[in-house]
Amino acid sequence: MVVSGALMGLVYALIAYGFQLTFATSKSINFGQGELVMLSAFFSLSLLDWGMPYWLMIPGGLLFGVALGLVVERTCVRLALEQKSEGWILMTIIFGLLGFSSAENIWGRDDRPFPTSLPTDALQVFGVNITPLEISVAIGVFTVMGLIELFKRKTLLGKAFEAVSADRDAAELMGVSATRTIMLSYGLSGLVAAMAGILISPITTVGPTMASALILKAFSVAVVAGLDSGFGVVLVGIVLGALESLTSFYLGSGWREAPGLVLLILALAIRPNGVFGKATIRKV
Amino acid sequence: MLKVENLHAGYGLSEVLQGTTLEVPEGKVVALIGANGAGKTTTMRAISGMIKPTKGSVTLGGKAIEGYATSRIARLGLAHSPEGRKVFGPLSVEDNLLLGAYNHLPMFFGFRSKAAVELGKVYELFPRLKERRTQSAGTLSGGEQQMLAIGRALMAKPKVILLDEPSMGLAPVIVLEVFNIIRRLKEAGITLLLVEQFAKSALEVSDYAYVMEHGRIAIAGTPAELHKDERVLAAYLG
Repeated sequence: MVVSGALMGLVYALIAYGFQLTFATSKSINFGQGELVMLSAFFSLSLLDWGMPYWLMIPGGLLFGVALGLVVERTCVRLALEQKSEGWILMTIIFGLLGFSSAENIWGRDDRPFPTSLPTDALQVFGVNITPLEISVAIGVFTVMGLIELFKRKTLLGKAFEAVSADRDAAELMGVSATRTIMLSYGLSGLVAAMAGILISPITTVGPTMASALILKAFSVAVVAGLDSGFGVVLVGIVLGALESLTSFYLGSGWREAPGLVLLILALAIRPNGVFGKATIRKV
Repeated sequence: MLKVENLHAGYGLSEVLQGTTLEVPEGKVVALIGANGAGKTTTMRAISGMIKPTKGSVTLGGKAIEGYATSRIARLGLAHSPEGRKVFGPLSVEDNLLLGAYNHLPMFFGFRSKAAVELGKVYELFPRLKERRTQSAGTLSGGEQQMLAIGRALMAKPKVILLDEPSMGLAPVIVLEVFNIIRRLKEAGITLLLVEQFAKSALEVSDYAYVMEHGRIAIAGTPAELHKDERVLAAYLG
């Protein structure tokens, strides 16, 4: 039970990782990230409905996520950043609301099951009951995060990404276009959101309300770990997921949302830069 | 190679540059000296597009570049080593250098081997950087960071290098070393615009010099001419 909770936590960590990607390059995040998860999950479900095989659906859903991420960057973020305003906060929230009502209109208000090709029988691993589906979550999360980290460290484009995070002006002086790098980060962030949707949907269900539940927790994870903490989100995600399943078991499922909020408040009170974050001083 | 004509630029409503005109011929080292706040750094920032000029023209190798985005100007062959060095602290020394050559290298794989020749040249000029190539740039001393900033600019194989206050905040011994490097760049035929507080040292290494006052070029001439100018002697070489 704790293990399944921890695996759920990995999905929170993955969404939080999406926040980190855009925060690194542009110091902005997409508050509609939960809706990106939900819309990509719905789109992937439709792909299956249209008869697309399961293994083709995954890249299809991911591409859709990338496209959504790019749309968010172009419509909600770029102008605000050019004006050096914080308008992206409101714009991405509005994008989320738009995504929510669009999903209700296109796919309906009801939660729908997401089919899976994996067997549902639990396996015994080290004396713990665990389903192949839950294992697929762990594999999916680590694969995506691992590949993106590999891209950042091993390719020149990835190093340019890091350079923009470190010093945007200096990166521009090297010929790196900060605008394109921010686009790239939003595309990757959309990909990560879509992956989270595809991984979690077979366990939960797909519905318009899944967005708000997920984003709250992903946000807690991102803030508790720190928006520049790298793999710190994984640890915090696992802890939060495990705590959630413990509280809902011992205190009732109504308390399920509590640990995330308590952790968030504690973190903001004690370590506002995050448990794994670096203290940054804003020079003016 | 680089021509600046009647350049106006500033921050918000305050116009710092009020019609700067200067020229950097190919293969020459040109110094830009003057008091704090005269507009030396602003001139460099306006040339490389970090701030947008409001009036005037900048041409690089005959091509007008004013108003272009910074990254585009960099791609056209201008390497600006900015004030305060601005190395990428979390990245390794070698990654910093590779990013310097960003415009010439493949985006994904094989960039390291393609940069090998240039990298070798920079390491030959700065053996210290080779020793520390895996270290993160933020852990280098100020002098080493300055070497890295110059090396990074050289990696771009640029038409012109703008070098903003390479001696800033460095110990006198290191400053000497920096000027030795500039001398070697000059011998190698690098085209360089140098902004410096140390007017005396700057004049020693340059072919031509401009003195800036209140956002305009006040005096221009060869170092020998400036040494004879009473105003320059009194204000900058005293």
